[in-house]
Amino acid sequence: MSDGFDVIGKPLLRKEDRRFLTGQGRYLDDIVIPRALHACFVRSPHAHARIRAIDVAAAKAAPGVVAVVTGAELADWTTTLRMAPPIEGLVPMEMTALPRDKVRFQGDPVACVVARDRYLAEDAVEQVAVDYEPLPAVADMTAALAPGAPLVDDALASNLVSHQHASFGNPAQRFREADRIVEARFSQGRQTHAPIETRGCAAIWDEGRQHLTFHIGNQVPHGFRTQLAARLTLSESQVTIVCPDIGGGFGQKIALYREELTVAALARALKRPVRWREDRIENLTSASHAREDFVRTRTAVARDGRILALEVEIVEDFGAYSFYPANYLARVIAMILTGPYRIQDYAYDVKIALTNKCGAGPMRAPMAITSWVMDGTIEAVARALGLDPVAVRRVNMLRADELPYTMATGERLEDVTPRETLEAALTAIGYDGFRRDQAADRARGRHRGLGICAVVESTTYGSTFYKAAGIPGSGHEAAWVRVDPSGAVSASVGLMASGQGYETALAQAVAEGLGVTADAVQMQMGNTDIAPYGMGSRGARGATAGGGTAYLAGCELNAKVRSIAAGMLGLNTADELRMRAGRIERHVAGAWTDAGVTLVDVARRAYLDPTNLPAGMAPGLDCHKTYDPPQMTYSNATHVCEVELDVATGQLTLLRYVIAEDCGTVLNPALVEGQQHGATAMGLGGALYEQVLYDADGQNLSASFVDYLLPTAAELPPFEVIAMHTPNRRTPTGLKGMAEGGVMGAIGAVTNAVNDALAPFGVIAERQPLTPMYLRDLLRGRT
Amino acid sequence: MSERVALSLMVNGEAHEVAVPARKLLSDVLREELGLTGTHVGCEHGACGACTIWVDGAPARACLIFAVQMTGRAITTIEGIGDGALTAFQQALHEQHGLQCGFCTPGIVMTVEAYLKENAAPTEAEVRDLLSGNLCRCTGYHNIVKAVLATVATARA
Repeated sequence: MSDGFDVIGKPLLRKEDRRFLTGQGRYLDDIVIPRALHACFVRSPHAHARIRAIDVAAAKAAPGVVAVVTGAELADWTTTLRMAPPIEGLVPMEMTALPRDKVRFQGDPVACVVARDRYLAEDAVEQVAVDYEPLPAVADMTAALAPGAPLVDDALASNLVSHQHASFGNPAQRFREADRIVEARFSQGRQTHAPIETRGCAAIWDEGRQHLTFHIGNQVPHGFRTQLAARLTLSESQVTIVCPDIGGGFGQKIALYREELTVAALARALKRPVRWREDRIENLTSASHAREDFVRTRTAVARDGRILALEVEIVEDFGAYSFYPANYLARVIAMILTGPYRIQDYAYDVKIALTNKCGAGPMRAPMAITSWVMDGTIEAVARALGLDPVAVRRVNMLRADELPYTMATGERLEDVTPRETLEAALTAIGYDGFRRDQAADRARGRHRGLGICAVVESTTYGSTFYKAAGIPGSGHEAAWVRVDPSGAVSASVGLMASGQGYETALAQAVAEGLGVTADAVQMQMGNTDIAPYGMGSRGARGATAGGGTAYLAGCELNAKVRSIAAGMLGLNTADELRMRAGRIERHVAGAWTDAGVTLVDVARRAYLDPTNLPAGMAPGLDCHKTYDPPQMTYSNATHVCEVELDVATGQLTLLRYVIAEDCGTVLNPALVEGQQHGATAMGLGGALYEQVLYDADGQNLSASFVDYLLPTAAELPPFEVIAMHTPNRRTPTGLKGMAEGGVMGAIGAVTNAVNDALAPFGVIAERQPLTPMYLRDLLRGRT
Repeated sequence: MSERVALSLMVNGEAHEVAVPARKLLSDVLREELGLTGTHVGCEHGACGACTIWVDGAPARACLIFAVQMTGRAITTIEGIGDGALTAFQQALHEQHGLQCGFCTPGIVMTVEAYLKENAAPTEAEVRDLLSGNLCRCTGYHNIVKAVLATVATARA
């Protein structure tokens, strides 16, 4: 595909791999820090309780213990987090470093023990006596929003922390005109990111320099530094964040968590390094949760399947604390719900509820449910009208001649190819043949189902998106590229990788712009003293924001390289020069020929012989660049999944899985395909197996990997990927970004497939996970 | 519980004299006392497989073993694999993009290398069954399975 590109678009093998394959990766817990103490947290056994008193005397006297602190000490060392962006319908919330008045979920940290090693710290945690007065807990979002529900946050008037609604066009009129009104419901289980490396950090306070070095695997190091410095009342220049290799993030490693703030404050107070690594129980119960939403759609349709209007109601369970603005996740679902379909009459109502559960945050595809809701609604329309679901998609799906298309919400779709991915995926799976075989199989008692899900993935959020959504922050990114006197090339961006392969893919972007090989570019990321202040790794912004900025910085430096080379060659202009693989080439008589000058020669002149540079040119060879992507870029895909359902046991088997995805120009197709696999796997995990379970009293019942079930190789299918590359016309090289759409497509495709298999029994699965128990419940009395 | 027990550990062919509390996990002793940090700790309850090592050549979970149990046993960690070069399977993981964040990778290498010594020609279903004891949150396993099958195919060619 690489139209006119030298380096990007090539499936280069990863630079990162060698250290990971040989056990030489350097993750947080691999860093040796002399004299470091180990922190361990005392956590609430109650979902909701008043803290009457905390007795730390016995813990302080325990072997190896250096300090035991509670919210009282932390209040002297840290400031409160106030989450109050000016968003209509959003209620401000505040959070202290550790709670002082009450605990709000089982696992809420109430005290921190610091000891000589982790074993001793864990021992001493048992010695901390907290006098709790248990309070009624609310562990269900519907109950939380009922009148008279216990208040999760005593400072709020109710548990409704955010409520937003909007209407576009004239849905009421369209509903009056409709032939049918179709209702459908959808809900995802509560999930958690479960990176195989849990959270952790290490703080080193330098009393002499009054400087904090904070080691942590974090996707957004600069944003993290800003928060950490502010909450410790330090200047940002007094804090350095150093990110080692990260063993998976998926959105869990963005926020400044209370444990991390506590560890940093302790290192400063004790004037000794303090480190912390949570165990798996803490990670599953107390780090961050996600999803758990309930969605209802009402659709006005014409007899031929045309959607006249759509109304959606979303309720999301946000848990007990606000590490992000509470509307942050569900708002995007409402904004982009209509996806690739022609719907101008549209209304949404989004409510976010606080409950006595671990706080929620963005998890790979925070808007994950979007495509299932939309394509599940299409399926419901097809069922109600007795039409083929593919025909209903075709009648509503945008055609190429309708692009660019402005959605009802104002979001603009361009350079997307929903019909092309739909047809490609259907052809690959053999849709018509499947339907014939399916009918014959059903007659024999074999129940296969096929599910389709069209995805329009919001990938890169520019600063104008934030402005329009009323969210503080920006979507721009920063990069620098530096050529040293020896000709060695280094580059950096403000993103930190947690498995995506940025050291390879972003090196390709720099190399393409500068005119060197990807091997020649060494990326340096994750150290806030080295990397430029950027907005980090989140959403699917790595390619367009990170790669786009890196590419533009490379291009800018390439211009200087060519100017210097022109001077060396005695030319008045660099117009007929280019650099490929670090060698200058000249366009002579219709062909590019080696000019005998290399990047090494140019670098030497730039640094060591500046009086011979072109007049007015500054010495040195580096550049710093910022870039603000368009308001939003979109990739699109169609997922098709084939399942077999054992109606006697409820067991599901995934037989085939096809992904046709158009994510524009790509930096490295091998890495893109890896992201497609991984995102789809995460979507399938959430749809089929994973669920954070709380009982009615708010006790977490899924605190181990034998209760919270991640998919393994034995359950997941091979993935058949059809790659398409329609460039985005507004971004550098046509990049769009990707890596979350797989989650969106998977949960929709697999659920639609299950409902297709269930069709003969007249039942519909409308909540996830699709466990055998749930499917058997649906089938009971019907098989 | 903090009294130290002196013991000799044979790790990657080298004898190490250490003194550790009896309750200290083998995974922690390998990492903290011996500096062999390639053995990763992902769950501490034997479910994720990131800490997989070999005890006398057979895969085991280092987080489910106390170091003091290992007297007289030969332990192999990821650092003891491959004689300074990548093994055929490590190379296949590289070529098939069978790793992303890399945290589960050493455990997967230890699991697969041990298996391939005994099973020269596994089917895809057998490979998936083998890998089901190692959790990977990044790759969806597709490329790991490909890497195992590619290793087997190359060895037989």
